[in-house]
Amino acid sequence: MSRETPKPRTAALALAVGLVLADSSIVVLALPEIYRQLDTSVAGVTWVLISFNLVMALAAVPAALLARRVGPGRAAAVGLAIFAGAGLACGISDQLSTLILARCVQALGGALAVTASLELLPATVGSERRAATIWASAGATGAALGPAVGGILTELVSWQSIFLIQVPVALAAAVPILAVAKHEAATGVLQTEVRRTGRPHLAANLALAMVSAAIAAALFLLVLLLIEGWRLTPIGAAIVVTAMPLAALLGSRLDPLVPSAKARAAAGAIFVSGGLAGLALLPHAEVALTLPPQLLIGIGLALVLSALTETALGGRSPQAIHGGWTISARHAGVVIGLLALTPVFTADIASQRTDAIDAGTAVILDSKVSPLLKIDLAQKIEDRLEGEKGKVPTIGPAFEPLPSDPGDRAAVEELRDELQEQLNAGATHAFSPSFLLAALLGLLALIPIALARRVEL
Amino acid sequence: MNVGLRGQLLVGAAIVSSLVLIGAYLAAGGSSYEPEKVRDPCQHRPWSDPQGLGEIANQFTSSALDGAACQLGVSREALARALATPEARARFSKRYGIDDAKLARAVRAGLLRAIDDAEEAGALSPLLAGPLRGTVEEIPLDRAIELINNARSIFGNLQTFLGPAGDLLEEFLP
Repeated sequence: MSRETPKPRTAALALAVGLVLADSSIVVLALPEIYRQLDTSVAGVTWVLISFNLVMALAAVPAALLARRVGPGRAAAVGLAIFAGAGLACGISDQLSTLILARCVQALGGALAVTASLELLPATVGSERRAATIWASAGATGAALGPAVGGILTELVSWQSIFLIQVPVALAAAVPILAVAKHEAATGVLQTEVRRTGRPHLAANLALAMVSAAIAAALFLLVLLLIEGWRLTPIGAAIVVTAMPLAALLGSRLDPLVPSAKARAAAGAIFVSGGLAGLALLPHAEVALTLPPQLLIGIGLALVLSALTETALGGRSPQAIHGGWTISARHAGVVIGLLALTPVFTADIASQRTDAIDAGTAVILDSKVSPLLKIDLAQKIEDRLEGEKGKVPTIGPAFEPLPSDPGDRAAVEELRDELQEQLNAGATHAFSPSFLLAALLGLLALIPIALARRVEL
Repeated sequence: MNVGLRGQLLVGAAIVSSLVLIGAYLAAGGSSYEPEKVRDPCQHRPWSDPQGLGEIANQFTSSALDGAACQLGVSREALARALATPEARARFSKRYGIDDAKLARAVRAGLLRAIDDAEEAGALSPLLAGPLRGTVEEIPLDRAIELINNARSIFGNLQTFLGPAGDLLEEFLP
């Protein structure tokens, strides 16, 4: 093997896994900005997320097989190079179609890098179990930090910077791995190590897919609710959704206390579903009210993902292939969740938007402000609706400038707040059925968890 | 503590905390947090003791919009926004498949309902209500369209809106 010291290589492999799996969620907070800048629809912009996860789901297992055939060092290095190049293409895309295409290529490179990393890690750290732990932790950390990092970059720089910043990071991660690749080229040693692969753990992977669908929906829907519904800035939303990974850290501390993977998986799925049901039943449009549900979801995702990944990999060889299956299951779940729920909540948003605007207009028509002011406000609201082209409108500007007369001013401010409250209620209510469906998906994961024969490690 | 019990406790904690959260949010009105439903424009909206021309104009307009919206099968609120500008009216017509003639007929019907409501509320003398009805029924189509185009007059200038009979209005107001 290479003379490279293990520590930098371990760090590089963990960085590669974290970077790629962060990409599954890093764009979540940037989607509303992409949605506005590329002038697309909610359904269209979700494909920036879906395309990456779909290709990851389809390519993970073939990528693992390829990595074992050509050598994991070469596969990881090439995968990271593809990932970096496609990231650059994403960053300079000015059309939704090219962005989605580049995301597909990025996922191909990512799948190769992640599965090859799992193949390289045991030799680097000296134990398959430790390798699996590092690999799973790096992936979970990346996925958890992704949305916050993406939100901060979107607000401070631009959505393009999310992809551009990945280029040097991916290349930096590839450098220590190049030594392994050169060694493989010289010896071809790993080409002789291809072994027969055992069957994947069906129940664990099925449960992973269902839970991942629920978690992806939780993150995606919550971000859309915060930014598009309640009009938070990306950085504000990033701070809010950071509650979930923080809670996940808390949840991961429960792992050693409860050795039963089956219990952790079941409890995790229940926590996730309970949190999603809480999000479906928000009593007001208050950011603080999203925190208790996020706490449950965060604790739940840490428990259920680690328990199911351990189960899927436990005692199975080669790990890269079974790791590929878990990657495939998780990303397929994300795709299923987004594809199943996007039509539900986009239809609900359209319907609730109309109801909310009607309710707000009723408040204006029934108010005691002068008839001239009423019709002026009605006209401005109609203009805002038309300008927003079917999206939830920012209603504040329709009330500017405020009347100079103190009495009228107070009345108009009251009307503006009332109309905004109706819009908030509409946006919040529009997401409820989708959150409930996601909660149901999380609960359905209990079936394969309960039926699994070998969930205990 | 044995391993099995720890697992059961963890699952129990997950169930209890989920139920507590759901119960608390339901108790706080979580299932009913949605936009208020707008009223059916075909249902009678009682007038509330109007004082002065401004309030009468407000309630007259509301009744007229209700009546027109009821006839068109749309909400009063959607119709009010549609009357704001010619562009808004064009979008409304396209969205609901309503031509100007149908809109004018509906507005006429709305005006008649507003006169009925005003009379019932004691805001308009029966002596004035009769001639007003006659005037509204005879408003030509282009005048109705003009009134719709110039929706401000509906709210701001009841006399203009009612045509010749409007001059008598001030005398008959309570």
